[in-house]
Amino acid sequence: MVDGSRVTGERMEQDRRTYKVVRLLTGGVTPVVLAAGLLVYARWHDPSWEAAPQAAGICRELIAGTTEGRQALFGSCWSAPLPVLFYLPFAWLLPEPAAGWAAFFCAWLFVFWAVREAVKSTGQSGWRIVLAQAAIAAMMAVSGCPQALRAATALTAGLSLLAAAGLADWAAYRRLRDVVSTGSAGALLLLCGFPAFGPAALAVAALPLAACGHRETRSRAQAWLLLGGLPPVYAFGVWMLLNRLVLGDPLFFVRSLGHLVPDAGLFLAALALPALALLPALLAVWILDGRSEKPGAGAAGASAMLVALAVAWLATDAVLVSYRIGWCGVTLRVCALSVLMIALARLKQPLYRLALSFGLFVWMSVFWFREAAPDERSETGRGDLCREVESYVNARTPYGRVFVLGYAGLDLLRGCRSERLVANLDLHVGSLRRAYKGQNLYVLVPEPVGATRAESVFWRYPDIYTRGSERLLFARAFGNWHLFEVVTAPTQEQLDEWRRAR
Amino acid sequence: METAICQSRGGVLHSHGEDDWGKARTSMSEMNADERATPHDAASVDPLELSHRRPEWSASQPMTRTQKGAAAGLMAALALALAFRPLATAQVLIAACTVFYVLLTLYKIVVIRASLSPDAILKFSEEEIAAQEPREWPVFSILVPMYKEPETVRQMVASLAAMDYPADRKDVQILLEADDEATLAAARSLELPPGFRVTEIPESFPRTKPKACNIGLALAKGEYLVIYDAEDLPEKDQLKKAVMAFEASPEKVVCVQSRLNYYNPRQNLLTRWFTAEYSAWFDLQLPGLAALNAVIPLGGTSNHFKTRVLQDLMGWDAYNVTEDCDLGVRLGRAGFATRMLETTTWEEACSVLPFWIKQRTRWQKGYIQTWFVHMREPVKLFRELGFVNFLHYHLLIGGVTFSALANPIFWLMALVWFVFRPEGVAQLFPGPVFAAGACCLFVGNFVFIYVSMLGCCKRKNDGLMWLALFTPVYWLLMSYSGWRAFIQFFRDPFVWEKTQHGLVKKV
Repeated sequence: MVDGSRVTGERMEQDRRTYKVVRLLTGGVTPVVLAAGLLVYARWHDPSWEAAPQAAGICRELIAGTTEGRQALFGSCWSAPLPVLFYLPFAWLLPEPAAGWAAFFCAWLFVFWAVREAVKSTGQSGWRIVLAQAAIAAMMAVSGCPQALRAATALTAGLSLLAAAGLADWAAYRRLRDVVSTGSAGALLLLCGFPAFGPAALAVAALPLAACGHRETRSRAQAWLLLGGLPPVYAFGVWMLLNRLVLGDPLFFVRSLGHLVPDAGLFLAALALPALALLPALLAVWILDGRSEKPGAGAAGASAMLVALAVAWLATDAVLVSYRIGWCGVTLRVCALSVLMIALARLKQPLYRLALSFGLFVWMSVFWFREAAPDERSETGRGDLCREVESYVNARTPYGRVFVLGYAGLDLLRGCRSERLVANLDLHVGSLRRAYKGQNLYVLVPEPVGATRAESVFWRYPDIYTRGSERLLFARAFGNWHLFEVVTAPTQEQLDEWRRAR
Repeated sequence: METAICQSRGGVLHSHGEDDWGKARTSMSEMNADERATPHDAASVDPLELSHRRPEWSASQPMTRTQKGAAAGLMAALALALAFRPLATAQVLIAACTVFYVLLTLYKIVVIRASLSPDAILKFSEEEIAAQEPREWPVFSILVPMYKEPETVRQMVASLAAMDYPADRKDVQILLEADDEATLAAARSLELPPGFRVTEIPESFPRTKPKACNIGLALAKGEYLVIYDAEDLPEKDQLKKAVMAFEASPEKVVCVQSRLNYYNPRQNLLTRWFTAEYSAWFDLQLPGLAALNAVIPLGGTSNHFKTRVLQDLMGWDAYNVTEDCDLGVRLGRAGFATRMLETTTWEEACSVLPFWIKQRTRWQKGYIQTWFVHMREPVKLFRELGFVNFLHYHLLIGGVTFSALANPIFWLMALVWFVFRPEGVAQLFPGPVFAAGACCLFVGNFVFIYVSMLGCCKRKNDGLMWLALFTPVYWLLMSYSGWRAFIQFFRDPFVWEKTQHGLVKKV
């Protein structure tokens, strides 16, 4: 008896040590190594690569305390608040590009931590977690898409994993904490932007539906819906409130949809179609649930749910692409493929087979990413462009002011040290003329490609880039940017000075 | 080295070393129960032993001279700063409050996350309890302090008698004040079951529940001890579960707290909110604290103790109106632990607003008392609790009071800003403070409301979840009580506004 208890005690001690090693490996060493590796790879692969160009531009304005910064933070569902808020402390504490690297590193640490959380609930060995983390890192590296390596993409992917894993575990075990984690992850996912609206809504809506298969949990469907649905609904409500406070319109951040698609109602209906992908999984969960004494569809139900979610997210991407707003396709594919990887990792299979599956998956993902629309509007040579514009304006007037439009403008201004160029998100020529009386005003308009098409300036002035508008006269093209001069009657002082110069 | 002599327990001397709590820990390993002599009657017991022998651990003195001096100095400094640099001073104060709010919010999230783990609470199934038989269960002392509640005596006796525990192993003391003739008469008119007795508490100041419980503690015969209120309806197998919990836990676990909830949740709006609050506290927050090995402010009843340890800690502080909270902290300081037990005691939620306010005022005042008592020697407290528990202590005990007092001020500022956008308010919140404040407003408040809903869901009170959305109104009541408590702490620190019971027809 003594020997038996000593052996048991030794085994327990060994298990404890093994657990600590596994925890250190999957939660510490591997994520750090992989995140650092991805960072090094991204920099080596493309020296001009940046971790979060748009977020950096918005943070610059936020730190300066400008109205444009606050407007940019909340004013668009295509440039969502959470990635910017995530980046903000790095931008505040560190100079570029260190801020970007640090944000990237932390974002990918988060992804690998999410992978660990998503797989460990199945009780599988730590090596599966390591393999899954490595596979996702490899997938990002071979994707060939700069967008896949952005901090915002990582944040969205990590939250997608948590939401999906929460839903899967709920389907399998019906634990209250899974409802909470799905709802919380869903709320944060919603704040990652419009492409994540659908996936977040799907994950949360599936919570009460998945519980309908067992009498014990079916009767409490309202409770699951409330607990799971309240966080994202609240997050959306706060976003609306902040739009009302900052921009005067609670739905400003989604108004671009009405201008990007011909029929908004039909578009929203089309976005609901990917939910059909959940039906087979829900059916499987209900059948498995109905057969068991205790609520819960087990590992099979969890896997079905994960695969269905991934398919639904890929379908969402297909819908967006069909409406020519697929510039977030890479992000959605990263999220969907990561979830599929987790589904693989959670299956009971030998390690070597899992490694082979991951390898095949990573290879196939290369083709998937190639199909994704490259949305990139990367600004290289910001400083040069700014200097060119400034020189042009200075040559014509000492009182010039250039308003650089849109989120693309915020990115461009990161390279500017001049006070002549200022950000502007919502062009109101009349207001600018009144505010800057006596100055010669110019407007620098970005080319409406990719996500830039969603800028608010193109709602009011759809042809501004090619034809200008009332009181905007084309001055010159600078790369992808068009400079327009705001035409105003000269003041007496300006006329006098012009005469003297003559 | 400081030494003190413990008396009236068989004449055995204990000495305090540098560690004031050493006596209790030493006694667990060295003392023989036979060496203790139990007092004969209530008259021979000193119910104020703690305040007599360790006044520095008692709320008999609300604030020490040092604390008063420090508070006065702080007020004076604040007044000067406001006079000379009003804006900067206000900005610093608001920044400090905001930081505390942020910490409170993060703390809440951490605690709730810990509470959702399966190990947060000790559970025993019916099968496990049945598998214990046959066995000799230890004597369990039950203290039931009552005052002017003749109508509840019969029901209380019946519910305790019905508990699934051998009758000859129950040592029930009904603690009644000597001048409470009505309740005494009601108790004497009953044929009390075996093991039940009435202990008359001699008239003395202060007339408080902990004072009565100290007398009962000294006269207790059981290895374990529990307190119940008069209207409590504990689950039948609670005593057995408590015994099993102690036996399954390490030696340093000297207290096991049952969950409390209400049997009249739907009586009115107040009881609905109260039930939601209790569900969040006992089903989520306390298990979370236990899972984090934190100092736990005990609930007012259904806390099960190892009798000997409680006696060595000199019982409850008779001057503290939340003697349970204070005891929880003292247990932590002495190096002991509390665990949560998966069993419920059903109580009556106060359904009448004026009574609710009085009850809540007493609780808030007790937290203020407890905070001041244990902060008499903050360095010593830090050393005894350790860094993490020191944080727990301030965020929990201090946090409850701080948020009750500060909330209305910040809500008013937020409302004024939303509606009027005055320049003055914006100046008080520079950039990062504004961002943190906005986080607390939008995220922090949501977290607290969500936790309320979660508590209702865990308790399967799904119908109350919607009402939890309106919890901010309930918080206003808590803030009102908090300010009332703050004033009462200085004006009438020892007044005990007793909760009125018997206002519901029990289900």
